[in-house]
Amino acid sequence: MVSDFFYPNMGGVESHIYQLSQCLIEKGHKVVIVTHAYGRRKGVRHLTNGLKVYYLPLQVMYNQSTATTCFHSLPLMRCVFVRERITVVHAHSSFSAMGHDALFHAKTMGLNTVFTDHSLFGFADVSSVLTNKLLTVSLCDTNHTVCVSYTSKENTVLRAALNPEIVSVIPNAVDPTDFTPDPSQRLDDRITIVVISRLVYRKGIDLLGGLIPELCLKHPDLHFLIGGEGPKRLVLEEVREKYQLHDRVRLLGALEHKDVRGVLVQGHIFLNTSLTEAFCMAILEGASCGLQVVSTRVGGIPEVLPEELITMCEPNVRALCAGLETVIARQRSGSVPSPASIHARVQNLYTWRNVAERTEKVYDRVAGEEVLPLDRRLRRLRAHCGPVAGSIFAFVAVLDFLFLLLLQWWVPDWVMDVAVDATGPHGLWRQVPSSKVGAHSKSAVK
Amino acid sequence: MGPDSAPGPAVPWRKVLWECQPFPDNYVDQRFLEELRRNEGIRQYRYWAVVKEAGFVGERLSCVAIFITIWLYIEEGLLSPETLLWTSLVCALLGYGLHQALTSQVESGCEPRTRLADLQSATIFLSFTFGFSPVLKTLTESVSTDTVYAMSAFMLLAHLVSFPYAHPSPPGSFSLNAALFASVCLASRLPGALHTFAMLSCALLVFALWPCLLQRLRENAPSQFTGVCVGVCIGGVGGLGSQWPGGAVLLALALWSVTLLCPLLLVKLQGQKDNIQGPWDEAEIHEDLSHF
Repeated sequence: MVSDFFYPNMGGVESHIYQLSQCLIEKGHKVVIVTHAYGRRKGVRHLTNGLKVYYLPLQVMYNQSTATTCFHSLPLMRCVFVRERITVVHAHSSFSAMGHDALFHAKTMGLNTVFTDHSLFGFADVSSVLTNKLLTVSLCDTNHTVCVSYTSKENTVLRAALNPEIVSVIPNAVDPTDFTPDPSQRLDDRITIVVISRLVYRKGIDLLGGLIPELCLKHPDLHFLIGGEGPKRLVLEEVREKYQLHDRVRLLGALEHKDVRGVLVQGHIFLNTSLTEAFCMAILEGASCGLQVVSTRVGGIPEVLPEELITMCEPNVRALCAGLETVIARQRSGSVPSPASIHARVQNLYTWRNVAERTEKVYDRVAGEEVLPLDRRLRRLRAHCGPVAGSIFAFVAVLDFLFLLLLQWWVPDWVMDVAVDATGPHGLWRQVPSSKVGAHSKSAVK
Repeated sequence: MGPDSAPGPAVPWRKVLWECQPFPDNYVDQRFLEELRRNEGIRQYRYWAVVKEAGFVGERLSCVAIFITIWLYIEEGLLSPETLLWTSLVCALLGYGLHQALTSQVESGCEPRTRLADLQSATIFLSFTFGFSPVLKTLTESVSTDTVYAMSAFMLLAHLVSFPYAHPSPPGSFSLNAALFASVCLASRLPGALHTFAMLSCALLVFALWPCLLQRLRENAPSQFTGVCVGVCIGGVGGLGSQWPGGAVLLALALWSVTLLCPLLLVKLQGQKDNIQGPWDEAEIHEDLSHF
């Protein structure tokens, strides 16, 4: 698993990687995560159940994404791949330069590759034209691609000009035991709407700022609980100031993942105002806590929850207000299903075990495929990515190959120590690890 | 479940994730990409309509050429500043009358400016320009002539680039300032203070007032507007030709490519346009949320 985004960063991609790795370990696979160093967190770390994480010292450029030169990460990556005897490289997130680098090097080294795309992209502006071209180059000889929803699949197939047969849809999941309802935390004299999202434009915070005053004027017992941080916090503070809603609109600031459930269970309604979303785990978490979910109808959201569990509105203030009004009316009349029944309905829809099982099948399929040798890879790059970009990246691929030959001559594979397996078929990490085993495996990798 | 497992029974595939469907994960249904929309809301241009609109750009180009011609004439002494001043005054009065006539035809929503207010602004501007023209004349004395010409050329170009062709009334502040800066530079190279004053008044006429009048004309009398544009273009080429034939040829070429060639390219290339939209696009907020 390679991605720029991993703990201590928090978000959908990070938890996806972590949970998927844990489930794969449980199934007896050996999993190693490679990410870049976060501050003082560098080197090799072991997480729960012996999940080994390499925090490589690569320079972060923008938004926690590393700078890429196509070459400089090869020595480190090769070291990890050889020492850990990796067979499949799985990169996550199209924003992660490190993931694309890893795919590129893995193909040079003749390893099978899988890529998971977690986000949607437009086609209209210059930046998306460029990133889509890069994605085309990166995915044109990748064995298999995974998307988190059907909309995301359509998007990725169009962006990277892929054959849809090699793109699988495997949704995200939530851990239902982390998100259990607790109606006793709700206050009965009011209706609380919970919003948990980063406060940025893409999450539709402007819409939220538009609907708060309208609904608060109509319903004096309506309260908003907003968790998250971001540049659009100003919009909400302005609205709160202008309409004197300090006691009814509470901004909680950034929340840690473990605190999210505590906020969710205080609410009756979960509101999501995103303008674009590939999957949206937030609404799933809301529903799992037994809340009524109201969301905008964008991206992959209509695929996530069955209609009886979600109220979908067009992304504008009037539609969202109307949608919320009907849910509020239902809530008042008591005709909504109980939180426990909603939880019971949601808890089996998406599980990480299921995600891991389906991902395992992708790995099985990929492991049986051949990796294109250099000459065919070059031909494919030039045939698939256009004469200009294709030729440039074919040239880069040749350089990468020569660099790899140099490295192999300098430090041959057989000179490198093989790391001790913490997980996998011959894993030394046991459920109740004796201190000796733990110390042994740690000293072995440092 | 999983890619390439055995094909399932004949239940229709649904685009949902919450159900376990008897299809492999990499299954591609016939409905794949059915929500893809191509070239939505695309505009089909007609050649002559585009040429008409592009004529306005050509007109602006010619205006700059006319302004440079006048400057050349004054600098060579072929045109006295008095003549220029009187001509400008007559043109301004004629234009003002026409502007008023065209304005009265439409009922303007906001309160119209009174004649007195117009006269007041004109007086203030003229007296200040007249008072400051000796200063403006010596403004760039310490700067080399080449630099002044280069700056003027650059600023006139900036004026042309940043001019708000869609809504030219009032002309955009950057384009107007760039044009006036260029005029001050050029006017400061003229022999006398009165020359400078005449040149600046003329610049104001060409760059500030003329676009306002033209916009009125475009709104109220589109056919005459086209005629005026053609007239200005011919005037520009002819005027420049009397002083600098090579320049006139260049201007004619530029006008031809802007008004005839570019619209042709636009109309031809419009057919190549392949714009795709779908449910993955970021929703746009159309409402005005500023009132909240």
